[in-house]
Amino acid sequence: MVGTKKGTLWIRYLIAIALLLIMVFPYIYMVLNSFADWDQVDKKLIPSHFTLKSYEWLLGGGEAVIPRPWLSAFFNSFIVSAGSTFLMMVTAIMVAYALAKIPFKGRNTINNFILFQMFFPAIILLIPTFLVIQRIGMYDSYWGMILPKAMSLWAVFMYTNFFRAIPETFIEAAKLDGASDLQIMFKIVMPMSKSITTVIFLFLFMERWTELLWDMLVVKSDNMLTLNVLLSQMFGPYGGYPGPMYAASVLLTMPIIIIFLIFAKKFQEGMQFTLK
Amino acid sequence: MSTKQGRMGWLFASPYLLYGIVFFLIPLVWSLFLSVTDWNLIAPTFSFVGIENYVEAVKSPGVQSAFFVTFKFMAVFVPLVVASSIIVALIVQGLPRFKGIFLIGFFLPYLASGVVSSLIVKGLLSYNSPVNEFLRNSLGLDIDWLGTPFGALFVVAMIIAWKFTGYYALILTSGFESINKEVYEAATIDGVTKWQRFWKITFPLLYPALYTVLILSIGVTFGIFTEVYQLTGGGPNFATNTWQMEIFTRAFSNLQAGYASAIAIIASVVTFIAIFLIRKILETWGKRNGWD
Repeated sequence: MVGTKKGTLWIRYLIAIALLLIMVFPYIYMVLNSFADWDQVDKKLIPSHFTLKSYEWLLGGGEAVIPRPWLSAFFNSFIVSAGSTFLMMVTAIMVAYALAKIPFKGRNTINNFILFQMFFPAIILLIPTFLVIQRIGMYDSYWGMILPKAMSLWAVFMYTNFFRAIPETFIEAAKLDGASDLQIMFKIVMPMSKSITTVIFLFLFMERWTELLWDMLVVKSDNMLTLNVLLSQMFGPYGGYPGPMYAASVLLTMPIIIIFLIFAKKFQEGMQFTLK
Repeated sequence: MSTKQGRMGWLFASPYLLYGIVFFLIPLVWSLFLSVTDWNLIAPTFSFVGIENYVEAVKSPGVQSAFFVTFKFMAVFVPLVVASSIIVALIVQGLPRFKGIFLIGFFLPYLASGVVSSLIVKGLLSYNSPVNEFLRNSLGLDIDWLGTPFGALFVVAMIIAWKFTGYYALILTSGFESINKEVYEAATIDGVTKWQRFWKITFPLLYPALYTVLILSIGVTFGIFTEVYQLTGGGPNFATNTWQMEIFTRAFSNLQAGYASAIAIIASVVTFIAIFLIRKILETWGKRNGWD
């Protein structure tokens, strides 16, 4: 704000850094404990002896009777999140383009229906969606995890608002040149939507990567579990092995942080638009 | 409006039509149907029981607790997250440089899986943890964090507030940035104190961003599951039993699919009405003070 005196500036930065350290402390604690000597896990704020034992235990199958498939769970998480997010992006862009840029009969009805569904409490759908997936034979499969989350109405809503702001003249000019709707979408509309695409992609991917309830319900086989579900199931019985639990947490958390940091700059630009 | 455009429109919108039918309309009808049966999720047969499930649900401690627990979470979580995100936004706002880097840093907790944050908190609050050792040895406090009703509720609310603070701070920061600096300069000339400046200038101008944060955070309280499932299982004695937890337990642990569907419908109605009323109250409150 205004009236900043030079002398007190460093205090402001000090407070900001201290607060930031407190906020990210749980992550620091997680990483330190994943490398900590096993008799120091959860005993010290900052462990003094470090080891790779937790990771060796985790990835080598540990002392468990059945070696837990942590790596395949990581792979499952990736397939499900990437597949789901990809479909959510494609469907949102298609539907939003129709709602914003193609005038057709029934458009308003569809738009109102989407808004209605968006504000409808989703909790009512949990049990019957499970039954739908079961009846169409997708229980315990990747598709069972992906399909019910193949569309995000929030993403449709965001894209529709953004596309509406793109001037009609761009699209009419392209149409005069004989471009099809598909070409207009890929050649004109999408390149103009890079920053909002980053925001939507990140939010969808983050949410999908950390989903628990649905992935837990729809999958039964050990080799199909996502990393988040596997970690959740090992939470209780492996309470005696906190070190490897922290290592698994690092395995789950790091990819999403890295993806976010790669796109951080674009994300901020996009957020500025979104929040206006 | 040509027929070709009409066809293109429906073609582009077709993913929603398909999705809306399979994952919204069919489940919606199915849910209403299940709620008047005694189906147990596995058996091939079931019988109709009328509104019996609803009557039983309203009388059950599980449903009653879910109703109140949601509002208790709201009472603890919303003030907590609003206060912390305002503090973060104010501090970041006071920095002339590196604002973006700090905002990105504060956003990082949003990326945490609820399972991971629950695991970390469980470790941090275990009996021999550094936190509890410190409290016991230095202050003589022996706290059973997850064993008392309020303690468990508070810990879960804290975890979720931690997750959302940076995200909401981002929203508030853009609210701050939309405030015209000249207003402050004029106020400084008029001899307005810092306290007055916050309440009379910053707060009203920030209201639209604050409204967004309030609505989002209230929405969050109706969907709490992971942290509760992981840390408390809804206990102790239903103290953290949220709607999702109750429905999950009933439908998939106790296999009472019919009964749980009735609970889900009650939960949706309660959620819908509560959010509608809260929105109305906030909007009227904002309008009356001329903050919009």
